[in-house]
Amino acid sequence: MRKQIMEILTEICPGVDFENEKALIDDGLIDSLDIVAVVTELMEAFDVELGVDDLTPENFNSVEAIEELIESKQS
Amino acid sequence: MSFASLPFVGLVAAGVILYYLVPKRAQWLLLLAVSMAFYLAGGAKRAVWLVLVAGLTWLAGLLLEKQNARPAPDKTAKTAVRRVKKRICAACLVLCFGLLYLMKYWNFTASALPSAIGDKLPRWDFVVPLGLSYFIFQAAGYVIDVYRGKYPAQKNPLKYGLFVSFFPQMVQGPISRYDQLAPQLLSARGLDWRDLKFGIQLCLWGYFKKLVIADRAAVLVNAVITENCPYGGAVVACGILFYCIQLYCDFSGGIDITRGVARMFGIDMAENFRRPIFATSLTDYWRRWHITLGAWMRDYVFYPLSLSRGFGKISRWARAHIRGTGGKIFATSLATFIVYLIIGVWHGANFRYIAFGLWNGVLITASLLLEKTFLRWKAALHIDDKSAAWRVFMTLRTGLLVFVGRYFTRAPRLRSVFTLLKTTVLHPQPSQLLDGTLLSLGLAKTDFLVVALALAVLLTLECFQERGVHIRPALEKKPGFVQWLAVTALLLAVLLLGVFRAGYIPSGFIYTQF
Amino acid sequence: MSSKKWVLVFLATVFVLAALLAGLNAAVDPFGAFGDRLLSWFSYDETNNPRVAKLSYLEQHHDEYDSYILGCSSTSSFPVDAFNEAFDARFYNLIMYGADMRDCEKITRYLIEHYEVKNLILNVYLDNGLEYDEESDRLTKSLHYKEDPDTSALSFYTRYLFADPRYALAKLNALRTDTILPQTFDVFDERTGCYDKRVRDAEPIGSAERYLESYPVFADYPHQTLSLPYTEPCMQSVAAIRAMCEEAGVNLTVVAGPVYAAYLKNYQTEDIAAFYRSLAQVTPFWDFSSSSVSCEMRYFYDGTHFRNNVGEMMCARMTGRTDLWLPDDFGTYVTADTPEEYFTDVLSPAALSPDEISAQVPILMYHHLSEDVTNSEMVSPEQFEAQIRALSEAGYTGVSFDELQAYVLRGAPLPEKPVVITFDDGYESNYTLAYPILQKYGMKATIFAIGVSFGKDHYKDTDYAITPHFGAAEAAEMAASGLISIQSHTYDMHQWPPYESGSAVRENILPLPGESEEAYVQALTEDFTRSRALLEDAAGQPVDVLAYPAGQYSTLAQVTLQSLGVHVTLSTNPGVNTVVRGLPQTLYAMLRFGITEDVTPEALLDMIR
Repeated sequence: MRKQIMEILTEICPGVDFENEKALIDDGLIDSLDIVAVVTELMEAFDVELGVDDLTPENFNSVEAIEELIESKQS
Repeated sequence: MSFASLPFVGLVAAGVILYYLVPKRAQWLLLLAVSMAFYLAGGAKRAVWLVLVAGLTWLAGLLLEKQNARPAPDKTAKTAVRRVKKRICAACLVLCFGLLYLMKYWNFTASALPSAIGDKLPRWDFVVPLGLSYFIFQAAGYVIDVYRGKYPAQKNPLKYGLFVSFFPQMVQGPISRYDQLAPQLLSARGLDWRDLKFGIQLCLWGYFKKLVIADRAAVLVNAVITENCPYGGAVVACGILFYCIQLYCDFSGGIDITRGVARMFGIDMAENFRRPIFATSLTDYWRRWHITLGAWMRDYVFYPLSLSRGFGKISRWARAHIRGTGGKIFATSLATFIVYLIIGVWHGANFRYIAFGLWNGVLITASLLLEKTFLRWKAALHIDDKSAAWRVFMTLRTGLLVFVGRYFTRAPRLRSVFTLLKTTVLHPQPSQLLDGTLLSLGLAKTDFLVVALALAVLLTLECFQERGVHIRPALEKKPGFVQWLAVTALLLAVLLLGVFRAGYIPSGFIYTQF
Repeated sequence: MSSKKWVLVFLATVFVLAALLAGLNAAVDPFGAFGDRLLSWFSYDETNNPRVAKLSYLEQHHDEYDSYILGCSSTSSFPVDAFNEAFDARFYNLIMYGADMRDCEKITRYLIEHYEVKNLILNVYLDNGLEYDEESDRLTKSLHYKEDPDTSALSFYTRYLFADPRYALAKLNALRTDTILPQTFDVFDERTGCYDKRVRDAEPIGSAERYLESYPVFADYPHQTLSLPYTEPCMQSVAAIRAMCEEAGVNLTVVAGPVYAAYLKNYQTEDIAAFYRSLAQVTPFWDFSSSSVSCEMRYFYDGTHFRNNVGEMMCARMTGRTDLWLPDDFGTYVTADTPEEYFTDVLSPAALSPDEISAQVPILMYHHLSEDVTNSEMVSPEQFEAQIRALSEAGYTGVSFDELQAYVLRGAPLPEKPVVITFDDGYESNYTLAYPILQKYGMKATIFAIGVSFGKDHYKDTDYAITPHFGAAEAAEMAASGLISIQSHTYDMHQWPPYESGSAVRENILPLPGESEEAYVQALTEDFTRSRALLEDAAGQPVDVLAYPAGQYSTLAQVTLQSLGVHVTLSTNPGVNTVVRGLPQTLYAMLRFGITEDVTPEALLDMIR
């Protein structure tokens, strides 16, 4: 799953070090348009429902956080 | 009550003194009392709408809270709860925005429709209450947040009322979030001299921008940008340039006063401006200009819209029917376009503002759709987009786009927008800049000098801030005398160049009028 | 520096600055809001805001007055001294430029409630229907809080305590540049409350062409389209004033001051008629608004304000005096019973023709008669006689300045072709050679004698010989004949530098270089008083005419002499004078033709035509 998430992220935001960055939202490395694009892709790829309430910094600040979010939605 | 009036200063002074004298439990009540005094000073009739909106949204919050607290063990229960919640939230928002629409936009729509229909419609004659657009948005944000379960609703109507009516924000925002502002408003605090100091500094700086720069620039703007402007394009461009200066200094100065006053009560309000002059793209600009409006639009319009089922369908259709990146980002681009259209309309009920929204929307959406193309061009021309030269170019380009956008918001009518733009480009008459025309618009040479010097100070400070230098801590390291000198110089500038700028009539002139 | 210290020091700075500003404004008091205790320059304060400053003045001085004149700017020309005499009262003129009838109502209420008010004269001007209850500038057009129930003392005092410091600084600057005569910053006369119009009252006026050069506004009168939207509230205030006066036993006289004819054209006739008609319904009033006076621009010192002279005429008409000339159609007492047609008929007055209102008066200037003509100031007796004979045969009558004054002030008739013959310096030849010739032809003349050379043939107390001047005996004889008038050419302000020892030589009536205004006025006053005493003593006639040495004069000299009772002054500028009925200013700095030996009788007649 992590690999898939990484692919989606790097396709939408090339040039960001998603491996190591832990403050993707707080540091403004992904902007609101990218978020939406990422979320739409994630919803398609993992067949989960993500809503606006899920768009918090905690959920998207790092790849690990995104992973956790999707896992919680799948269960 | 205008910010730049003695009664306002008196109200703030009295409010701050009392705030630190009353028992801590009553501090929030005092804030509410001061806010009421401020609002009522503008006329009791207008306060009715504020109370109405506050009451409506508070009630909706309570009802949503009750739904949130309902036990919903299974999926059907959850769906039922969600349906009720949707209805409550929708009803409240429709009422609030309907009210906004009725007061601000009804007459406009009625006159915009073809006269066969439009003339039959009644016209309302409301006196629009102070800050209507701001507090409706702020209250709506609260309702949507409670709907989303972000935080529990506020049960105390007076405490909620303080959030909606806190007086510094009533004039021009910022549009605050409940979970950021309310806890500060409602908590008790002792006197921290740093708060007073920072608040005073912020207020002074705001008054400086407003009274010394903005009010002066306004004189020229009002003289040049008129219905039948007789001046050549260069002077018109000058007028719009001064309008950009006026707007930024007036708006950001007002926000500084707002934040400074709040700071004196120990409350930190959201920033609304982050040195927009350094923006490198229109999107970047809207992240530096009127930040809270952009954030509100993002969280309550853009995200819900682009993540909605409807837009999901549009996105799938687009991917199927449009090749390349266009297909992938079509839906979000559409959502972006809609957001900027709404921002345009938010400014006022006029075709100009719709055009303004279109101007921003089209440019930003186009840049989104053409992003990959631009990347290819940059590679082909070997442009390094980290280089200083390229960044300067981008900043200037953005500045130009913003500058043109201001034609839309300042010209008296939509038709004048195009006339003025045409005049600027086709009939510049640049000689008018040097032949004394500029001195005949109501500003003397000294006024231009003052504006230039003040802008130089402003820009220097903003340059430092953009590089990450924090002005306040830097100043605190200087010796006490230098600090006193700096603030006294600012105070004198505000008084002599700002408060006492206009209105002086020499006695010879008084008599000769008769 | 700790934050606490920073805040406290900052607040202290603010308080100090506020205190400095308040202190400056309270001490210098450019609007008179605080009573101007320090500088007591009400004339300045009243120019900034007459509403506030005049009330401050009255708070300190109201026991010197028992009657008031009230109205907007044209009210200034209501003469306080004339009304004092007519009503046996002590009037104060509360003229406030830009005052509307609401202001007048508020002030009347205050006056009646706080001061002794026996008489009230209210001027209702057309502009009172144009604006009502207007306070466009808070510092310069507002009322004093005491006279305005809508203003609190707190807002009043804070407004003036924290007013723009430029006003106070301007007043301090004006103190430095203040002169005796009014400037644009101190236009009021504190004692009477009227505008200080000494300059306008003493300025030379002549023909219509000449007037247009000084007052071009009348050549190109600005046209506006005005209406009278506030006629009704204006009249309501007038009614309120009338009711207040009736209740308090105040003798109210309502006057509609003269309006310049071209200004009337800015309004619609129906509006004007409705204005005065509704005024008549509220109270009877003296209507001076439209008459032949309105058509003569020289009666106005600007496009809308009539001169003090017209004010004197108004007072005379209102009090039934007959000693002043008044046009027949000037002033009607209008009541509610006045027929409606009056209000429209009066709007098309017939202007007085130049013949009815003015006369052309040439003045000839001679100095010395002698057989031996050596300079341009000398004329041979033969030539002089030929000139006088030519005048007589052409039908010219020599007139005295008394006759001119009577024409201007009291409307007495002048002969068809008047001429004034004058002699400067007072040479003995005037007595020995000119007097017999004048007697022969029955021509009146006026001789201007210098005081220091009266009866002398040496220059003052030096040994320098001068052409002999006649003395007291000759003056008495000539005056007694009724033909000659002996008037002033100053006592010692026509000095001859080569014979003077000091460096401060007064060649003419102008001040010495570096001489202060006060010293100059005193010097001039002393000089003229001496001259008058000497000549009145000698000739037994009142001395009220002065010919300026070398024709040099200044505004300050004019004003000073007028205040000393000089009614006619003469220059040496050539030209024929136009004297106008009702305008004593036409007797100031009069034009004279200097007659030399080579002026033939025919040329002379040509010159003065």
